[in-house]
Amino acid sequence: MTELMERFVAVPDALSASPLFAVGLTLSAFFAGSWLFARIGKPLWMPPVVLSAVILAVVIAVLSVDYHSYQDGSKWITLLLGPATVALGIPLYQQIHHIRALWIPIVVTLPIAATLAAVYAVVIAWAMGATPEVLASLAPKSVTAPIAIGITEQLGGSVPLLMGGLLITGVVATLFVDLLARWLPVEDERILGFALGLNGHAIGTARAFEISHTAGAFASLGMGLTGVFTALMLPLVFRL
Amino acid sequence: MSMLRGFLILVLFFLLGEALRLVFLVPVSGGVLGMILMTFTLMLRGRVSDALASSSQALISILVLLIMPGVVGVFFMASQFSGQWLAVAAALLLGTFLSVLSTLLLMKGVMRLSAREQGHD
Repeated sequence: MTELMERFVAVPDALSASPLFAVGLTLSAFFAGSWLFARIGKPLWMPPVVLSAVILAVVIAVLSVDYHSYQDGSKWITLLLGPATVALGIPLYQQIHHIRALWIPIVVTLPIAATLAAVYAVVIAWAMGATPEVLASLAPKSVTAPIAIGITEQLGGSVPLLMGGLLITGVVATLFVDLLARWLPVEDERILGFALGLNGHAIGTARAFEISHTAGAFASLGMGLTGVFTALMLPLVFRL
Repeated sequence: MSMLRGFLILVLFFLLGEALRLVFLVPVSGGVLGMILMTFTLMLRGRVSDALASSSQALISILVLLIMPGVVGVFFMASQFSGQWLAVAAALLLGTFLSVLSTLLLMKGVMRLSAREQGHD
């Protein structure tokens, strides 16, 4: 009987040696988080990925799974980020006709605003004494996650810190667009959508689709163009 | 089957992007290069095949799942960046406020200017 117990206790350790354990754990937390997100009424300030990640972290801690063996196994999931990034080219292509309608404002605003989004964060953090690794993790904070992960890896930043920064940026960018739209005021849905996608990546884009379909289309365009532009610009700037 | 065919196209574009990155030593990830190539290819072709549309839709709809292993790392690195949290918080909050403000003003200004320009013509 004690032998049976011993084998029972050793199960989590033995299972965690297989990547399928990390895959099963991540998938379970993903569905649990999505369910909870729907249950609490899909609030804007709480992206579903935060709920899923908190559930995942709690399960990893409670089962006392070794975090590094989880990271090893979860590579089978993050492997798909490569083709998923390529897949973002399809909606970008489908939105690109909006450029023709408003190409001057878009072509002028995008490079300046996308550069500023990175520069403000890097300069503030640098002035307050952040290390180069932290700066490299914060620079792509307005870029959609799959592209931002690629950028931060190229720059030598920390992916977990970047992910935390991305989520906070997405949520506060959404709040600030709502706030400043009333203050300035800006009523054009195309401007609001573009600003949401450019600064708040996927979280801002989700908000833009709640304003209107036009705002959503401009947010998708802003998000896609910011991702491409920042991915090309930051590695060149960081090299200097 | 058709979804798998679309997935193959995405993987091939990713590998092509990686190959370009390695050959020309560009500091941009293979995924982003693949995405740019994909966008240009579609602009040249002028349409998206059903296979490509369905598999890209499928991958995009599970993006949250794909970034979860990266996000969960936030909870396991608490001590690594101690002493820098204030700088990080200021950069995120103040930086994002300033960049949202700049984007709105810039876009509004340029749209007004280009509208006036067209009015003259």
